[in-house]
Formats: sequence, C-alpha cells, structure tokens
Amino acid sequence: MTTHNLFEAFFLKLQLNLKAEARSSYLNYAWWVLEPALNVALFYFVFEVLLGRGGEGFVVFLLCGQIPFSWFARSVNNASSSVNANGQLIQQTAIPIPFFPLLVVAQDIVKESAVLVCLLIFVWKMGHNPNMTWLALPVIVATQSLLIAGCSLTAAAITPWLPDFKFIIGTAMTMLMFASGIFYDYSEVLLEQHKSLFLLNPVASLIDCYRTVIIDEQWPSWSRLAYVAITGLGLSATMAAIYKRLGSVYSQLVIQ
Amino acid sequence: MDTVLSVKNVSLDYRVRRTFFRHKYHRALNDLTFSVQSGETLGVIGSNGSGKSTLLKLLAGVYIPTNGTIENQCHHSMLLSLQLGFDPELSGRENALLSGVLLGARRSYVEERLDEITAFAELETSIHDPLKTYSSGMRARLGFAVAMIIEADLVLIDEVLGVGDIKFQIKARQAMQERIRSEQTVVYVSHSTETVRELCSRVIWLQNGSIKAIGSTDEVLERYLGAQ
Repeated sequence: MTTHNLFEAFFLKLQLNLKAEARSSYLNYAWWVLEPALNVALFYFVFEVLLGRGGEGFVVFLLCGQIPFSWFARSVNNASSSVNANGQLIQQTAIPIPFFPLLVVAQDIVKESAVLVCLLIFVWKMGHNPNMTWLALPVIVATQSLLIAGCSLTAAAITPWLPDFKFIIGTAMTMLMFASGIFYDYSEVLLEQHKSLFLLNPVASLIDCYRTVIIDEQWPSWSRLAYVAITGLGLSATMAAIYKRLGSVYSQLVIQ
Repeated sequence: MDTVLSVKNVSLDYRVRRTFFRHKYHRALNDLTFSVQSGETLGVIGSNGSGKSTLLKLLAGVYIPTNGTIENQCHHSMLLSLQLGFDPELSGRENALLSGVLLGARRSYVEERLDEITAFAELETSIHDPLKTYSSGMRARLGFAVAMIIEADLVLIDEVLGVGDIKFQIKARQAMQERIRSEQTVVYVSHSTETVRELCSRVIWLQNGSIKAIGSTDEVLERYLGAQ
C-alpha cells in the first residue's frame, strides 16, 4: 500500500466505521451524546442526590472531569483490543499495525467533538458565558488527543503479546478515575506537598486545564499542557519506532 | 522475461503460545528459493498444511521471513482476498468501496467502477441493502467482483474460484482465466491440478513447508499425481 492509499483507506474506514456503529442502534448518532450524558447523570445522582456531597456548580465541575476522562478511558480501552479485533484484515493485507489503534483514536475524536460542543452549550446555559479563554479549548483538546494517541498505541502494542493486559487496563482505568480528581477538587482535598505529585498524572493535569478555562474563566497552565503534550508525543514517537521494528511480527501474533 | 520476484533461502517460523511464559516455534516454510518472471503464471500445489497460503502471505508482505530474502520489483502486489474488510452494517456498495480501497486501489478508481462491480456480482436490486441481509453466495459474488477490478503488477491468488452458484462459478472462472492469460504476473495456489495445468506455465510443489519439486507444469504435476 502506498502512503496515499493508506490515508484514503484510513479516512474511508473512519467514515464508514462511524456510519456502521450508528446504524447498529435505533438512536444512531444520538448515542454519541446520550452515553456520556447518562454516565454523568449517574454520578450526579450518586454524589449530589444520594450522598449530598455536591454543592453549587457541582454538575459543571463533574462534567468537566467526567467527559474528558471517559474519552481517554474509552479510547485507550478500545484501542488495546484493536489489533486482535482486526486480526483477519491483518492476515490478508500488508497494512501497518498503528492503523488500527489510530483509527479508534480518530473515531473517538469525532464523537467527542460532538460531546464537547454539547458540554459547552450546557455550561453556557448554566451561567458560564463564552469568553476569550475558550479559545484555549482546541489546544487542550489537541493535547488530550496526543496523549490518547500515545497511550492507545502503547496499549495496542502490548495486548497481542499479553492478552491478559486488557483486564489490567480496565482496573488501571478505575484507579486512574479516582486519581484524576473527577469527583473532588484536588486543590481543596490534597495536602500542599502532594499537589505537584497529583499533577504528574497527565489526565489530572488535563482535567484541571478544562476546569480552569470553563469554570474559572482563566487561561490554562501552559506549562502543564506542554508537559502533557510532550508525554503524548514522546510515547507516540517511541511506539512508532517499536512498531517499525516489530510491526511485521504482529501478523503472526494475532493467529496465536 | 524479467525477474519480478526473487525468493532466496526463505524460511518462516511461527511462535505458538503453550502456557503463560512458554512458547514453541513451528517452521511453516523451510529454505525456499525460486523466482517469478514478468507475465508468467506460477502455480503452487501441495496438500493441506503444506504452506501454500503462508507462502502467498509472505510474498504479499503480510509476513516477514525469519531467514532469507524476498526481492520484489513490483510496485503493487495484491493478495486477492475476497470480502476484505466487509462490515455487515454497511451496504453492499459501501463494502465494495471499502474492500477495493483496502486491496490497494484509489478511492476514485473504485467509485468509478461501482456500477461495473454491481453488474458483475448481479446485485443490482440489493446493492444498497445492508450486507447483513445478503446470503453467503451474494457476499462471495460481491467480494469476487471487487477483487476482479483491482489492478496490480503481481496478483497472488489463493483458491478463489468456488464462489456463488454454478452459473456464477463459470462466469468467475472465465473472468479469472481472462485475467491470468493476459500479461498479468500471477502466483496461483490451488488444489485443482486441472486448473493449474490449464493456467500455469510453471509449478512449485510444496510439501511440509519445503519445495518438493519445481519446473514445468507437466513435469511437476506428473510427479505430484504419481505421489498421491
């Protein structure tokens, strides 16, 4: 396959996968927004209604954490099984292995763009008016996409060698959910000396950036964004080198 | 004739997982050396498990040899895979487009030939329906029709003529023979000695992953049939 063919195949498959996914349910594309909305509603019910741990602005606070986290977790989780799931295709044509995890990442970017637009409309209705700092949101989204690409390429590379890794990812994502400050404000809960350690978690840093822009109406910490972007780029570059060296082995691994 | 594909001392090992940390290696192909000339049809015969399909995947670049080298001068080598990338939720037309592009053709090229594909597959009335509503014969016809329009310098074919009903099989055989008899360079895997005799100028006989015999079609088939 030439590079041009590969790009055409990638974008065509992206378009048709989204279409096929939508056609497999009655509500089609509405699920892109309904699924995260139901998730948030569940967390809101538990924390605000049952436990009474919310307070003013808790819904927006929760949305700004849960939506970016779900995007990260779902993409990495789906990408981790993408190589095995496409084993038949890998057996039939010489297609580079990163094609499959990156396709999952691209599909989720398209879906999450719709979710983020809905999120912005919702927070606007809740009294957070659009302002200049919202211009930073595309930068935060691009940075998150880079991080997701790096983590997805890593997870997709490991699972064909160690199929049990997909179970570890599930548990790791639950741990990450509690370690990323989705339900709590780290600046109020953590001790001063633990805050910088907490923000070493790139997902926690990203969520903090989203909240700084949407809730506090301030510019995000550019150094934190740079840290996340470098982490994502570093992982992606390392994995690109590994795939280049080991890529051909995967076609034999998927039939094990 | 120019040599377009040169295989030198090629072997291929599979890693097979036994337990958590233990693996064993299975030698699927062993020390193969041969070449393919431009415009020729090279047949590959052998019993089940002899390594015929694995050899095609190796020539297509799906597998990389454990030992030895493959020098491929062709710009586009295609392993003729039927129903490549088919998705049951998409329509026949969408699947034809996707399959064609995954086989290595340009999107615009496949789009221009979608009507031709539909007509060849005899699916004019159902091409816009989801693939999940197709019978296995309809899917096979669509897959074959897509594969037939893709152009490649080297076509690697693995026993694809038994698709659809008898009427379509005759049509498919004619289309395939037409393609093979043109200037197309082909490596053709088959169990049918009759088809190999009809289409191939040279034949490789594989046994347990090694070349048992290579040479003119009549000579190799005579030895092969004598050993059965």
